[in-house]
Amino acid sequence: MEEKTSWDWHTDLKEIPVKEWENRFNWVQAPQVSKDGERIAAIVNLDEMVFNVCVNGDVWDDKYEKAWCLAPFADNGFAAFVAKDEEWTMNVNGVQWSNWFDFIWDMKISPNGDFLGAAFQTDSEYGVIVNDVPWEDRYENLTGAVMAPNGTSAAVVQMESMAAADVDAFKKGIFSVARNGEAQAARFLNAWNISFDAGAQNIACTVRLDREAYSIVQNDTIWDNRFESAWKPQFLDEKTLVAPVRINGKWKLYKNNAPFWANAYDQLWHLSVSPAGEDIAAIVSTPYGRWTVAVNDRVWQHSWDTMVSDIHFSQDGACLAAVYKHKGAWDLAVNQTPWQMRADKVFVPSISPDGSVVAVVVEKNSTRQLVVNNRVMASGFSFMADPVISPDGSQVMIKAIENGVYKRQIISV
Amino acid sequence: MQTQDNTMTEQSRETNDMKSEKATDPAIESGLKRLTPERIQKTINQVLEKETGPRFKAYVETCMRCGMCADACSFFLSNDRDPYFMPAAKVKNTIWEMLAKKGNVSKDFLRQAVRISHLECNVCKRCAMYCPFGIDIAYMMLLVRRICHKLEITPQYIQDTVNSHSVTLNQMWVKDDEWIDTLQWQEEDARDEFENLEIPLDKVGADIMYSVIAPEPKFQAGLIYQAATMMHAAGIDWTMPSTPGWDNSNMAMYTGDNEISGRIARAFFETAAKLRVKRIVMGECGHAFRSVYDIGNRWNSWVMPPFEVVHALAFYHELLTEGRITIKEKYKKKVTLHDPCNVSRGRGLHDKARQVVNMVCEDFVDMVPNREHNYCCGAGGGVINCGPPYKNERMVNNRNKAEQLAATGAEVLIAPCHNCHSGLEDIIHHYDLKMEIKFLGDLIYETMEKKIYTPGK
Repeated sequence: MEEKTSWDWHTDLKEIPVKEWENRFNWVQAPQVSKDGERIAAIVNLDEMVFNVCVNGDVWDDKYEKAWCLAPFADNGFAAFVAKDEEWTMNVNGVQWSNWFDFIWDMKISPNGDFLGAAFQTDSEYGVIVNDVPWEDRYENLTGAVMAPNGTSAAVVQMESMAAADVDAFKKGIFSVARNGEAQAARFLNAWNISFDAGAQNIACTVRLDREAYSIVQNDTIWDNRFESAWKPQFLDEKTLVAPVRINGKWKLYKNNAPFWANAYDQLWHLSVSPAGEDIAAIVSTPYGRWTVAVNDRVWQHSWDTMVSDIHFSQDGACLAAVYKHKGAWDLAVNQTPWQMRADKVFVPSISPDGSVVAVVVEKNSTRQLVVNNRVMASGFSFMADPVISPDGSQVMIKAIENGVYKRQIISV
Repeated sequence: MQTQDNTMTEQSRETNDMKSEKATDPAIESGLKRLTPERIQKTINQVLEKETGPRFKAYVETCMRCGMCADACSFFLSNDRDPYFMPAAKVKNTIWEMLAKKGNVSKDFLRQAVRISHLECNVCKRCAMYCPFGIDIAYMMLLVRRICHKLEITPQYIQDTVNSHSVTLNQMWVKDDEWIDTLQWQEEDARDEFENLEIPLDKVGADIMYSVIAPEPKFQAGLIYQAATMMHAAGIDWTMPSTPGWDNSNMAMYTGDNEISGRIARAFFETAAKLRVKRIVMGECGHAFRSVYDIGNRWNSWVMPPFEVVHALAFYHELLTEGRITIKEKYKKKVTLHDPCNVSRGRGLHDKARQVVNMVCEDFVDMVPNREHNYCCGAGGGVINCGPPYKNERMVNNRNKAEQLAATGAEVLIAPCHNCHSGLEDIIHHYDLKMEIKFLGDLIYETMEKKIYTPGK
């Protein structure tokens, strides 16, 4: 469980030398930092085909032939896929899961850190494992694994057997959604973009019914309307589902199978709902070739020529930040105001619960810097993980490497 | 050359005998069976009225049937200048007829329209260069393919690649685990040359996302090995995605399935956005390079690609001219270079390609014609993707290219495009040209110094 209040917000600076790891090990892969910033870890090579994970200088007990996908897990832990004797499993904080597979990938971590899952393949059969419990039913193939926001459910699109290049079988529909290991009865030409509601009671996805007809499936019910295309649906609550759909070459937002937003856009995707469910934001293109954000069908005053890649609400919904690219440079806009940093890269912004502080790592000329409320607060780092803002919004935690030393630094804003 | 010419003549005779062989396609036939006159008419008129505009109108009204396009077409030249294969005739026998008859065309007509648009035009755009008005006949052939898609009469094998795209976001049904496993396997093998070589997966914030097309993990994994070796030696900060979105090919672009084409393009560029890279470098593929600027993007409302996409040719040029990769000893055999339509005529990389070849090879001979005027491979515009049933016809339609290759006297043909490479390989075997075929990356890997680049040295 992520408890930011229990993290150390008092110690100004903590340092861990990581340069020496390069001398201890044959080579060191890209580092990962725990959410609370107390630990830095990397997959390291000890010998030919001998890998391990080094956390703050200590290696896990077991050694592996291969390891990949090291990721921060829960408050201060790490998980990674590891292989021994040509079989794969998950290792969480140095402890292996009991189930081993021919391959494992697509790590899923629930936001509260209570659930950890992945897709697996054994003997050419495919399934999902969550918290070391694998699904009993296995499939010919699976795609698009999704974990519910609360972690209690997982779902995939499963595929039934089809002979090579059998376009007729494909046309009849061989795809369905499998939830927690149970495949639903309805088969589709395609199924994509599975979405759960917050409590994992309801499920929806985008489907293609024939070569030209797209629609949305909400639990077992297909919306009556047919569209030229459709993107990922999003639950507003248990009974309300919205989805971007394409009609006559334009994109509109539909709610429960009926028109919702009045405007039609040249593109409309990446729906984001404020935590209280009051506001819906989306990345939109209007007019053609220009990109911006629409909140409740009202378009921001600025638009950009290349793309808006991601949007993020603050916990109270008062702040909305968008990462965008314009005239060859990346930038951030907060509540419609562009910061005009013109960076080479802009990473995922962190926003204080009340929306008053926005912190983001950017890269310019191959060095990383921390920008808080459009002011550069720290710079010159070779590596910098996404910052964390304290629960009261008064401090920002920097997690960065400078001259071979990892620094966990707390600064006031 | 005498032997090669004699062989060519014999092969040409055999090839001429194959002319009358026309394959049938179960997907086209079953699709035609399901069609009603009403559906045919409605679909054609819907595409012509709603999906075309001034451009199409201008093309239709401007063409004077002057025939300047004829000699530009490999199919025409390979078939003894048969007027049936003139690009203008292809348009007349498909879209103009549909327009003139207001969509009221027969199933036999449609069968022929599928054949013309999918098998007898490789959408290479060479004819557009020779048209006095610059009429883009490839655009009109793609419009016919769009109609075929909507009528569900697309040839079986290329439809299957689009089906694969729609499910896996790659064109060869490569499963997620197979993809990652292949990368790890190549990484492991490449460590024989560089102990600490990595194919970094999902490295957020790397400078470059390296992208390949599905045939590489499926059956040409060595190309990934070679690319990884080059990236490592050159000291590049790079990554490859473990998730779908790694394949930048887009066969839906060639079948007129614009909706799936857009979905593929979205996944590709959003993968790059998620990884926070500066730019995308792609392997030696022509049509994937074209797709970066094509219908999928525009369908998504991207006027230009949201990331700079660098073709392998341009990237090799960058690595060699910056000294990040050095050539130990130039390749000795006599080589020639095929100019892939989508890379040269489409995007102007032909001079860079020659500079790279000259940096790597000792003995280079150009084809005639060359650069943007080079003849098409007869494969990469989706023709080869229509599959084995049509291979014989493809060989007949490629006689002109075979003659061009033979005339160079080269021992090695460089083809920096996957589809061209496969198509040309078939031509070499069929016409017994006694040539090896290679990617440019094969030659760079073979001749480069296997050492790590150090800035300033």
